[in-house]
Amino acid sequence: MRSNSLSSRCFLATAIVIVAGLPTPASAQRALTDIPTPDPTAELAAMEVAEGYEVNLFASDPAIRKPLQINFDPAGRMWVSSSSVYPQLRPGEIPNDTVTILDDTDGDGVADVSRVFAAGLHMPTAVLPGDGGCYVANATEMLHLADTDGDGRADARRTVLSGFGTEDTHHLIHTFRWGVDARLYFNQSIYIHSHVETPHGVRRLNGGGMWRFRPATLDLAVFARGWVNPWGHAIDPWGRSLVTDGAGGEGINLGFPGAAYFTAVGTPRILHGMNPGSPKLCGLEILSGAHLPDDAQGTLVTHDFRANRVCRYRLTESGSGFESEKLPDLIRSPRVDFRPIDVKMGPDGAIYIADWYNPIIQHGEVDFRDDRRDRTHGRIWRVTAKGRPLVPRFDATTLSNGELLDVLTADGWARDAARRVLVERGIDEVGPDLDDWASAARRAAPGTAGYHRGLERRCLELLWLRQGLDDGSNAVIDGAILSRVLNAPDPRARAAACRVVIDWADRLGRPGVGPDGSPGPIDLLAPTVDDDVAAVRLEGVRALAAVGAVAETSPADATRAAALALHVVDHPRDDALDYAVWLAARELQGAWLPAVLAGSFDDGGKISRVLFAIRAAEATAASGWMVEQWQQGTISGADLDALLHAVALLGTADELRLVFDIALAADTPAAKAASLLGHLAESQRKRKVAPAGDLAGLTRLLTSPDEALEGAAIDAAGVWQVEATAAVLASLAAADRPLPRRQAACRALGNLPGQPAHDALAALAAEPTTPEPLVAASLAALVGRSVDEGARLTAAWLARGPGDAAVHEVLRAFLGARGGADRLAVALAGVSIPEATLRAVIQDVTAAGRPEPQLTAALERGSTTGSRTLNAADRAAVLARVGTGADAARGRELYRRAELRCLACHRIDREGGRVGPNLTAIGSAAQPDYLLDALLDPAKSVKEGYGSLVVVTVDGQVTSGIPVSRSDTELVLRDALDKEVRLQLNDIEEEAPGTSLMPAGLVDSLSREELADLVRYLSSLGR
Amino acid sequence: MPPPERPFPVGRSPRPKQTPLLTPALCAALLWLTTTSTSASEAGATSWSLQAGDRVVLLGDTVIEREGERGVIETALVAAHPGADLTFRNLGWSGDTVWAESRGVFDAPSAGYARLLDLVGALRPTVVFVAYGRNESLAGAAGLEAFRVQLVRLCSDLRGPAGDGTTPAPRIVLVTPPPIESTPPLSAAAADARNRVLTDYATVIRSVATEQEAGLVDLFAATTSHLPAGARLTENGIHLTDAGYGAAAAVFAASCGKSLSGDHPGRTAAIRAAVNEKNRLFFHRWRPANETYLFLFRRHEQGNNAIEIPQFDALVDAAEAKVWEMARESP
Repeated sequence: MRSNSLSSRCFLATAIVIVAGLPTPASAQRALTDIPTPDPTAELAAMEVAEGYEVNLFASDPAIRKPLQINFDPAGRMWVSSSSVYPQLRPGEIPNDTVTILDDTDGDGVADVSRVFAAGLHMPTAVLPGDGGCYVANATEMLHLADTDGDGRADARRTVLSGFGTEDTHHLIHTFRWGVDARLYFNQSIYIHSHVETPHGVRRLNGGGMWRFRPATLDLAVFARGWVNPWGHAIDPWGRSLVTDGAGGEGINLGFPGAAYFTAVGTPRILHGMNPGSPKLCGLEILSGAHLPDDAQGTLVTHDFRANRVCRYRLTESGSGFESEKLPDLIRSPRVDFRPIDVKMGPDGAIYIADWYNPIIQHGEVDFRDDRRDRTHGRIWRVTAKGRPLVPRFDATTLSNGELLDVLTADGWARDAARRVLVERGIDEVGPDLDDWASAARRAAPGTAGYHRGLERRCLELLWLRQGLDDGSNAVIDGAILSRVLNAPDPRARAAACRVVIDWADRLGRPGVGPDGSPGPIDLLAPTVDDDVAAVRLEGVRALAAVGAVAETSPADATRAAALALHVVDHPRDDALDYAVWLAARELQGAWLPAVLAGSFDDGGKISRVLFAIRAAEATAASGWMVEQWQQGTISGADLDALLHAVALLGTADELRLVFDIALAADTPAAKAASLLGHLAESQRKRKVAPAGDLAGLTRLLTSPDEALEGAAIDAAGVWQVEATAAVLASLAAADRPLPRRQAACRALGNLPGQPAHDALAALAAEPTTPEPLVAASLAALVGRSVDEGARLTAAWLARGPGDAAVHEVLRAFLGARGGADRLAVALAGVSIPEATLRAVIQDVTAAGRPEPQLTAALERGSTTGSRTLNAADRAAVLARVGTGADAARGRELYRRAELRCLACHRIDREGGRVGPNLTAIGSAAQPDYLLDALLDPAKSVKEGYGSLVVVTVDGQVTSGIPVSRSDTELVLRDALDKEVRLQLNDIEEEAPGTSLMPAGLVDSLSREELADLVRYLSSLGR
Repeated sequence: MPPPERPFPVGRSPRPKQTPLLTPALCAALLWLTTTSTSASEAGATSWSLQAGDRVVLLGDTVIEREGERGVIETALVAAHPGADLTFRNLGWSGDTVWAESRGVFDAPSAGYARLLDLVGALRPTVVFVAYGRNESLAGAAGLEAFRVQLVRLCSDLRGPAGDGTTPAPRIVLVTPPPIESTPPLSAAAADARNRVLTDYATVIRSVATEQEAGLVDLFAATTSHLPAGARLTENGIHLTDAGYGAAAAVFAASCGKSLSGDHPGRTAAIRAAVNEKNRLFFHRWRPANETYLFLFRRHEQGNNAIEIPQFDALVDAAEAKVWEMARESP
C-alpha cells in the first residue's frame, strides 16, 4: 500500500467521511427491505427442484408456525415444536409456544389433522415423541409431556432434566433424537453452560456438544464435545452418528464416544469435519426406502438455510470414518424467506422438510423487536420422487412383536418406529419373541448352511434392542450374540457391537451372566484393536477406554484394557484413530501408569506403545522409568529416538541434562541433535524446565554447518537465556547471512540477560545499513527487554516510513507486552509518521482484539484522515454496483493481493489461513451489504466461534486469539498470524473476551469499483 | 478485564418502605407477632423467625431452583405469616455449590460467586436461606473440610460486603439437604451410600449454623417424618415431589415455630398460584435468556434490548402485591 496509490486511486479520501454523526453501518440483514409475501403457493413456485423430484405443501400456517423441529412417531404422525416467542420473551408476555401433531390420514400427502398437543411452552427448540407423550426442550429444562386421558392433549407435565443454559436462544438444547440404542441424544450449542443434577451425579457441559441420555434411568453423559451449532444429527444403519453444524464450516462430522470438534471445551485436541469450507448446515437425514431412486439411497440431506437451499452429500467409507462429497442441491430458492432447517424421512417414504419461514434469521444482527421478523408463518414441505410408488404406511403401534421384529431390518422411519415400539413394550413383553427371532440366526453361524449376510444385521438389531430394553438384569444380556456380532464378517457390525459392550460392561463375564466362563467385556473387545479395518479399531479402543473407566472394573482389568487399547499404536492411524487412542491413553492413565512404573505392564514387547501413552498423557511421572529403560541399553532405533524425545519433553532438569549431553556429543548426527534440542526447548516453553547445569556448551552448536541444528541451537539459546551465547549470537545477527537466521539470532538475543545482548540489538537497530527486516527483529527483541528504549527507537524508525511487514512485526511486540502500547503512545508524541506506515500501524492496533485507547489516540493525532466509513449514498452505490457491473474475477484478484491480507487469515477451499471464518461458502451465508460492512468495519459483527480472547500471562505477555481448544491445563489460541499459541492455564493471570482480530482499514486503498468487485467475488462463493 | 455486569437495580424502593405507621398490613403483622411467637420450645442457638416486611433470598441447588416453580415452601411461609408482606427472591441454580460452580457462565465459578454476592447485595435481603451440601457431598469425606470452609466464607460474605452499608446484615438460615431416597433409578444401596456421606455434610452444616449464629432448617433430619404415609419424597431419588416439597415446607414452618395444619386449601392454592407467577417473572428478570447478546460479549448486537429486562421489576412487584393480597385474605 503506497501513499501514491492512495492519493491517485482512492475514492475513499473524498467519498468516505468522518464517522461522527452518521448512523452506524447496517449489518447483514438489516437493510433487507424486500419482504416477500408469505404465500406458500408463491414460495413453492419459486423453488428449483432437482430433476426427478417434486415438492408439495404438507402443512402450513396457521396450523403450524415457526417450526423448530419435526419428528415422526411410530404411528406415522408428525410432531412439530414451534416458537413465536423466539428470539426473546417480552416483559409481560406469557410464553405460549406449542407442540403440534400433524397427520395425513387419507394418504394424499397433505396433513388433514392438526392438533395442539401442548401449549404454554418457552422456546421449545426440540420435540421427540416417546413414552406416552413427548420429550420437549423448554429453555432450561427437558420436559416430558404426556396425554394420560387419551384426549390427544398433554395433561401431565414432568421436568425430566433441568439446568441447561440459555445464554443464547438459538443455542438452547436441541436436535433430540433416539439412537439405535434407544438413548435420547440431544445437542447444545457453543454458548450454553449446563449444570444438570441427576441421581448419579452432577453433569456439566460448558460449551457445545452432544449429550446421551436414558430417560428410564436418568443416566446422562456427554457423548461428544464441540461444534458451534450442531443442529443436525443422523444415525446410519450401522449406528454411526453424523453431525452437521449450523455455524461451523466443516460439513459432515463423525460422532463417536469422546469425539471433540471445533470449540470443544476440556480437551487440547480436536478433530475436523469431512467437508472443510462447507456452507453452514442445519438438520440432517439419511435417505432410504423403496420410494426413492437407487442413486438417492444412503445419501445425506441437510440445509444451507442461509442460502435458501436443501443440500445433499454422499459418504464413502474411508479409513476409520468417511469421505464426504457434495452432490447437486435437492432444492434451491431465490426467496430469502425459504429457511429449511429440519428434515426427516416420513412413513410414506417421502422426505419432509421443516421450513422455518423467515426473511430474517438468527438474532444477533437484526433487532429482537424488528417488525420484519416473521413470528406467525411456517411450512412443512414434502418431497417425493416423480413417478415412483410411495411406501405403504402402517401404524407400528398396532403390530405384533414378531411383525415389528421383521420391520427392524427395513429402512428409514419404519425401522426407528419398530424399535421404539418394541423398546416401550418392555423386556417382559418382548423378551420371548426376541429369543424366537434370534434362534434362526443362532443356528446359522458364518460358514454353515443357511447363513446369509442379513442374519448379521438381524443380530446387530437384536443387540440394540436388548440394549434398549436393558432393565439392569443379567437376563437381558445376550453374550453369545454379542460375541458373534463382534466377530461378524461385516466390519460395520463389528464396530457397532463395541458400543454395546460398554453398556453391559458391569455384567458381562460375571457369575450368573451367560454360561460359566463366558467372556468378560475386555476379552470380547480384545480382537477389535488389531482388526484389519480402522473403523473397528476406533470403536474398539474407545470401548476399551470406557470399560476401563467403569467403576465395576477392577484395577487389574483396567490395566489390561489399557494394554489392549495401546495395540492400536502398532497399526496405521488416521487422525480420528490417532485421536481415539490418544484419548484412551489419557483417560486410562490411572490404570497403565502405575503398572508401567511397577514393571508389570504388558506392552507385548513393544515399548512404542508405552511411549505413545506417556506422550499422550504427558506423564511426567514416567520420565525416570524411561531413563532407566534407556540406560539398560536395550532400546535402539526409532524407539530410542521416541524415548529421548519423551524424556526431553517430560523429564526433570537432571534428566533433560542427559538428553542435552547427547545433543552436544560430537558423534550425534546433526539432525538428531537438532530434534533433541527442539524437544528440550519445548519443555522450557511448556513446563519451564530446562536442562540442569551450565548450558554454555550450546555455543558450539550455534556455529554448526547444519542449518537445522544451528536454528535449533539459536532458538534454545534464547529460550534458556544462555548468557554465554551472547557474543556468538551477536556475530550471527550481524553477519552477512540469510535474513531469517539473523532475525532468529535477534529474537534469541532479546531473551538474553546482560548488557552485551542489549547493546548488540540497539546497535543493529540504530545502524542505518541494517536491512529493514532485521531492524524490525531487533526492535521487537528490544521491546521484550526495555520497552521504553524500544519505544524511543521505534518512534524514530516509524518516522522513516518502514514497510508494512516490518511494522507489523514491531507493533506485535508492543501489543504483546503488558503496557507496551501505552509506552509506544508516549514515545510517539510529536513524531510524524508517513501516511502509509501510519495506516499499517493502525491496522495492527485494530487487530489487537482489544481496545488500546492511548495508542489509538496518539495515532489519530498523527493521521490526516481519521477513522472512516462510507456515507449512506456511497454505500448504496457500491451495493448497487455489486448487483450489476461488478466483476467477480477482478474481485478474486484483489482478494489474493498480498497487501489486503485476506488470504493470510481466511480460507477458501484449501488455500488460506484459519484465523477468520472460512469463506468458501460465504456468499451463501451472507448478503452483500453484510460483506461490505464487514470489510469496512470488522469489529461490527463477529461470527460465532470467532470472538477473540485476550489473555495476559504471568510474564506480562498479552496474547489475543481465537480460542481453538481448552483443557484442564492448557488454552490454545489461534493468533492473528494463524499460529496456534499454547498457553498453560497456570500461567494465565487474566483473560477476557476481545473484539475482532481483523484489522480495520484493510480496504481503504480500494476504489469504489474495486470494493464492489471484491464484494461481488465474495458473494459468488458457495452459490 | 471482567465483562460488564448486568445492572440490577431493585425495582422497588429499598425496604423497609416509608409506610405510615399502623397500615392494615402492619396491624396484622403486629397482631401476628404478639400471638404466634409461642414456640420458643424449639428456639435455640439456631432458631429463626420471619418478621413483617422481611426480604428473603433463597440460595441453593435444584431443590431451591425447582421450589421456584413449585412454590410450595414459599407458599407455606407466606400463608403462615398473614399480613407480613414477605418478599421472596429465589436464586436457586441447578447443580450449584457453595463455590457457585453453576454460576460462572462464560467465566470461572469465582466470577459467578462474585456476581452472586453482587446480586444478593442488590436485592437487599434481610434473610438469606442457604441450601447447599448435596452436590458437594459427591466429593465424599475428602471434600468435607473444603465444604465447611467455603460455607463459612459464604455466610461471612453474605453478611459482609453484600449490603450497601446502610442496611443491617441479613440473617442467615442454613438449610440441610433433604435425604436421598431409595427410589428408582437409585438402588437402596446407592441411596444408603449417598446418605451416609450426606449425614456428615449435614453435621457440618448444623455446626456451622451454630458457630455462625445462623438459623437452621434441618431438612436432612426432619423431612421424611413430615411425609404423608405412602407418599414418595422424590421423583427419582433426588428431586422432590410435591409431597416432598410439602414435607420440606412443614420443616421450614416448624423450625420457625409455625404449623401448616390449619391451612385452608383454597387460600393456599390462591397464594401458590400468585407465588408461582411472581417467581416465573422474577426468573426472567435475574436469569434472562440471551445474556450473551443483552449483557455480555455480543451486547454490541442486542444490548439496546437490555432495557427490557428491568421492565420485569414492575411486573414482579405487581405479582408480589397479588401474593400479599392473597395472603391477607382470611380463609
